[in-house]
Amino acid sequence: MTDTSIIAATNLGHAYSSIVALHGVDFALPAGRTGLVGANGAGKTTLIKILLGILRPTVGSANVLGFDATKQFLQVRSRIGYMPEGDCLPEDITASEFLIQAAGLAGLPSTAARQRASDVLTLVGLEEERFRRLGGYSTGMKQRAKLAQAIVHDPELVLLDEPTAGLDPEGREEMLELISRLGGFGINVLVSSHVLGDIERTCDWVLMLDGGRVLRSGPLSHLVDADMVAVEVVGDTTALIDHLAAAGANVDSSGAHVYVSSFDTDPFNLVRDALAATNTGIWSMGPKATTLEDVFLEGSGE
Amino acid sequence: MSDRGVVFDLGYTPYEGERRGRRGALLTTYRDGLNRVFGIRRRARKKILPWILIVLAILPAVVFVGFAFLLSTFAPDAQSPFGSHAEYFSITGATVLLFVALAGPELLIPDRRSGVLAVYSSRPLRPDDYVGMRAASLLTVIAGFMLIPQVLMYVGFAALSADGFFKGLGTNAAEIPKILAATAIYALAYAPLALLISTIASRKAAATGIFLGVMLIGTALAAGLVQATSIPGHKYAALFALGEHPDHVRDWIFSRVGSSDLVVNGAGIDPWMSLVTILAVATVSTVVVVTRYRRLM
Repeated sequence: MTDTSIIAATNLGHAYSSIVALHGVDFALPAGRTGLVGANGAGKTTLIKILLGILRPTVGSANVLGFDATKQFLQVRSRIGYMPEGDCLPEDITASEFLIQAAGLAGLPSTAARQRASDVLTLVGLEEERFRRLGGYSTGMKQRAKLAQAIVHDPELVLLDEPTAGLDPEGREEMLELISRLGGFGINVLVSSHVLGDIERTCDWVLMLDGGRVLRSGPLSHLVDADMVAVEVVGDTTALIDHLAAAGANVDSSGAHVYVSSFDTDPFNLVRDALAATNTGIWSMGPKATTLEDVFLEGSGE
Repeated sequence: MSDRGVVFDLGYTPYEGERRGRRGALLTTYRDGLNRVFGIRRRARKKILPWILIVLAILPAVVFVGFAFLLSTFAPDAQSPFGSHAEYFSITGATVLLFVALAGPELLIPDRRSGVLAVYSSRPLRPDDYVGMRAASLLTVIAGFMLIPQVLMYVGFAALSADGFFKGLGTNAAEIPKILAATAIYALAYAPLALLISTIASRKAAATGIFLGVMLIGTALAAGLVQATSIPGHKYAALFALGEHPDHVRDWIFSRVGSSDLVVNGAGIDPWMSLVTILAVATVSTVVVVTRYRRLM
C-alpha cells in the first residue's frame, strides 16, 4: 500500500471451493472516486466482500484505509459505508427510523443519529418522504434510501454495488449526480458497476476486473483519452498504412477504416502528411473517442 | 404522491462527534430487537398481540393481590387460595411460550428476508454480536414477562402482611433465588429453540407454527410413545416433551410435588434429566444459530 492509496491488495485471491473468483490480484487505489468494472462473475462482489471483512481471502491480503481488511475488519467497518446491490431496506419502518438505526449501528449516539438521518435524507432528496414506510417506496426512492444509509455516518469511504441497477433514465441521472457529489463531501467512493458509461461519468480512476484478474488499473483519463484519429479511405489503404508506420505512428485498420495514434506527434498532422504523400483520397477523418467499453473489450480479448 | 425527489444542494456538514464503534452497534441491535418484539415504531397491528400477552401475564398477579387485599380486609384469618410464586409460573409460562413463538421469528426472519442483514454486515459487528444481541432482546423480554408479575405479587403480599411491609418482604426472601432460577430455566428452554427455528424457517408464520408444534404437539407425541410402547427404556421418550421440562424443573426448584398430568412426571423422568435436556437443546440450538449466521454475515 502506497502512502496515498486508500485501498490496496497484495496477491489477493479467493476461491469458492473449486471455483476461483479472484486470482491473486495486486492493485492500489488512490483517494477519490474509483470505478470497479467488470462483467458478471468478474470478481467485483467477491472483492467488495473481502474489503468489508465478510469473506476471508484464500491468499494474500487487502488493506482499507490503513487497516487489514481481514484482521481489523471492525476498524474498517467503523470507517466505511456500503450500499449493497440487492434489497437492504426493512419494509415496515419509515426511512427516518431506518436511517437513525443505520447511524446507530455505525456507532453514532442517538441524538447525532437523528440529526444525521434528517440531514442525509434531505441531501438525497427524500426529505418529504422521510416519514413514509420504506415498503411504499418506488425503486428510485429505494436506491436513494440505500445510498443514504451508506453515508449517514459520514464514512471516509463508501462502497457502492451497482447503484443504478433498476433505475429509469431520470433516476439514473439523479443517482449519478449524487455519486459525483460525494467526493466534494470528503467521502471516497468505490463504485462497482458493469455499466461502463456510469463509471466514465462519475469516476476518476478505474479498476477493471475480468475473470478474477486485474485487466487495467489507472486514471480514467489515461485509459480512455487515447489521442487517436479515424480515417475512412477511398480505395486501397496499404500505401497509407505503410507510410504512417514508417513515420512512427501506431496504426490499426479495419476494412476502409484506419486508426492512427502517436505518442510523439499530433496524429492529425501525421495523417495529413501521409495522405498528401501517398495521394490517398478519404471519405471522412476525425477524432476517435476511446470509451471504457473499448478498453474493456480490447483487454478482455473480445 | 410523486415518487420523484428533489435533490437540494444545502451543502454537507461532516460529522465530527463521538463514534462509539462496536459498543454503539451492539446497543442499537439490542434496542432494535426490543422495538421489534413489542411492535414499537411499527404499524398498530404489530403492537396488538404483544401487548395483549403482556396484559395476560400481569393481570392475574394484580387480581391475586387484589383478592388477597379483600380477604385481608373482610376475613383476616382466611388464607388466600392464590398467590404461590411457583404456581404463577404456570400462567406466565403459557403466555411466554406464545410470546416467544411470535418474537423469535420477528427478531431474525425480517432482517434476512428484506436483506437488512447486509447493512449489519457493513457495520462494526461480528455475526456473534448480532445473534447475541437478538438473543439478549428475547431473554430480556422473557425475564420481564416472568419477573414483573412475580415482583408485583411479592411486593403486594408483603404490603398486606400482618407483620408489616418490611417483615413481609423478609419472610419470602428465600423465594427470590428460586424465582430467578425458574425464570432462567424458562428462558433457556424457550429462547434458543425459538431462535433456532427462526434461523431455519424462511417465513415468520411457519416459524411460529413449528415452534408451537415442537413444544405442544411434541409433548402429545411423547405421551403417546411413553404409553403405547413397552420396550425397555420407553419412558425416555418423555424427554421429547420439550414443553414440559421447564415446569418439571421449576417444581424441583420450588421443592413442589409435580403434577401427575406432566408426561415427564408420569414416565418417572428425574428433574435433573429435564434440566440436562433443556441445557442440551439450548447448547445445540445456539451452536447451529451462530454457525449459520457466521456464514450469512
